[in-house]
Amino acid sequence: MKIDTLFIDKAIPRDFETDYIISRLKTDPQWIEDSREVYDFINDADDPVSKAKKTLYITHNKGAVIKECPGTSFYTCCDYTILHTGTFCTMDCSYCILQAYFHPPVLQYFAGLETLGHNLEKIFCQDKIFRIGTGEYTDSLIWEKISLQPKFLVETFARQNNCLLELKTKTVNIESLLPLEHNGKTVIAWSLNTPDIISSEEKGTASLKARLEAARRVESKGYKLAFHFDPLVIYPECEIQYKKVIHQIFEHVSSENIVWISIGSFRFMPKLKQIIEQRFNHSTICYGEFITGLDNKMRYFKPLRIKLYKQIISCIKEHAPDLLIYFCMEDEEVWEKCMGLFPKKEGELGHILDRSAAAHCNLNSNFL
Amino acid sequence: MSDLLCKINILDIDLTDKRYKISFAEDDITFLAHSIKETGLITPPVVRPLNNKFVIISGFNRIRALIYNNRLYNNETKIVVYKTKPDITDCSCLVKAIAALAFKRPLTHSELIISTRRLYQFLDKKQIAKKSAAIFNIEFNVRFVEDLLTIGALPDPAFELIHSGNLSFKSAKRISSYGENIIKVFLTIFSKIKASSNNQLEIILHIMEISARDAIKPESLLKNKEMQSILFDENKDPGLKTKDLRAWLFEQRFPTIFKAHQMVREKITSIKFKNNIKFLPPQNFESQNFSISFTAKNYSEFAASVQNLNTALENRELKEIFNQ
Repeated sequence: MKIDTLFIDKAIPRDFETDYIISRLKTDPQWIEDSREVYDFINDADDPVSKAKKTLYITHNKGAVIKECPGTSFYTCCDYTILHTGTFCTMDCSYCILQAYFHPPVLQYFAGLETLGHNLEKIFCQDKIFRIGTGEYTDSLIWEKISLQPKFLVETFARQNNCLLELKTKTVNIESLLPLEHNGKTVIAWSLNTPDIISSEEKGTASLKARLEAARRVESKGYKLAFHFDPLVIYPECEIQYKKVIHQIFEHVSSENIVWISIGSFRFMPKLKQIIEQRFNHSTICYGEFITGLDNKMRYFKPLRIKLYKQIISCIKEHAPDLLIYFCMEDEEVWEKCMGLFPKKEGELGHILDRSAAAHCNLNSNFL
Repeated sequence: MSDLLCKINILDIDLTDKRYKISFAEDDITFLAHSIKETGLITPPVVRPLNNKFVIISGFNRIRALIYNNRLYNNETKIVVYKTKPDITDCSCLVKAIAALAFKRPLTHSELIISTRRLYQFLDKKQIAKKSAAIFNIEFNVRFVEDLLTIGALPDPAFELIHSGNLSFKSAKRISSYGENIIKVFLTIFSKIKASSNNQLEIILHIMEISARDAIKPESLLKNKEMQSILFDENKDPGLKTKDLRAWLFEQRFPTIFKAHQMVREKITSIKFKNNIKFLPPQNFESQNFSISFTAKNYSEFAASVQNLNTALENRELKEIFNQ
């Protein structure tokens, strides 16, 4: 994590959690009263997005700590629960929606492990399965190098039996997690892509080989795994390359320890295109055959998506016929044509995923 | 600002010096000449004394008309003009030239660009914006001045295309961010076609995206045989060329989508629906909803359309459209 400026909200107590972060960063903190100082600092830069990736702001989460994934109309959502522990990311993926999602983007760490714990207790006492992740507005494990939060979460989730914690990442920051007593309740998930896409579009992330090697290491410590092929990028001979990635997954880890694999193709809000063109002038990722989707996001032309999905699914099934594969934000036609089924009912996909979560992570199946 | 109203010899005007001419138009001055002959010169031109000659600041057409009359009717060679002070600055003369035209009629985009570019030799962007209302008869913000200056840096053929309407202000702004060779490509293309501003922007977008995707230069794309045959067909109307060029670029940019549209269109045509029946595939093929509609003036027309749709039920192409 290359942080060159550290702002800390004056309202944050100087405690072990904060001191730990300060000690890990090689920069003097600036204690501020008003968050506008951070916004102005970032906005004044020629490239606010790049500036924001090097500027850390430690503050409280002033909104909901736990919330439902917003999903999108017309496409099937997996009913995920988001644990809002921070925002933005230090890595620099060209396609990252967070560049356009926050105004301005700010790399925020929400301090207050105690508050986090209190909020989680309210979830842990419910008679319901939850799949909870921290990787929606940030990468779950960029924080592992500088904070105690990932460790705290793994250990907190280990003490309950109705929630699965998914830590989604493109890093290989797993060292502090390896010795933890996780009780099988934490799934470490990697977003995967082809080496071509990783090198051209995922600046600052770990290589495919490193990600899979890290997966092998956490698997050896009993962690369950998940993989996300999202975003799939269509380019010449991409099918061959994605199949190679799939083969490599199963060379590294056992299919029995994979809770699920999700698949989703590159989609973007129209305004992201301009940001990609400005910040990544060698990227051609936006120049595929995109149409305006029903949710007004740009999506690959559906027959192209279906063609690639079919090949990826069939390849995964060759290795692991029973492995749960699901689509992130796809519609009935895509599900039917690629999977031969469609979780039509409200919450049906979520339920399918809950079952896999319960089975793999030993959650209380009475809550299903 | 007290220019002196006086008579000067028409032969003392240096007609070759057009440093203050900002209008592209070379209007037909026949009517103006006739009017001056009938009613006299209502508003005298403004000239600047320089090196024993006079340089025109405003009134290029009036002076051309006076010369025309002089040749035709052998009129006297003395004309009434406003003569500026000899020590007037270049900047003041330019401001006079622009204001004289801008308060007569709104300046065209090309005139705005040329005027701003010349003013920028004397004033900075903020000063131009601040004085814009008094000079241009419109209030500019600094960003608009910047746009005008950016476009003003384009090569001269661009202004002719802007003036003729072949290159819109937005398109000119867009291409001005590219390198010299790419600008030349677009100036060549827009000199051959006649497209609306939106279509120009679409053409620019598709060419740039195809080039980026295929790692080729736009110059190479321009050399493509099919593109050449569209653009350089002298017998083809510029509007038709635009249509053909857009279709060709769409096919290059979205080959799969193009083929899918074409295939469905061909199948729909082969089903032979009656003219009053409209059958539309899902937009972008993203949703699954086809749309079928028809109009009927009376029962027999309604029955005929239903019959036509019934007949189509067994059509192989129709089934293929739904089952693909």
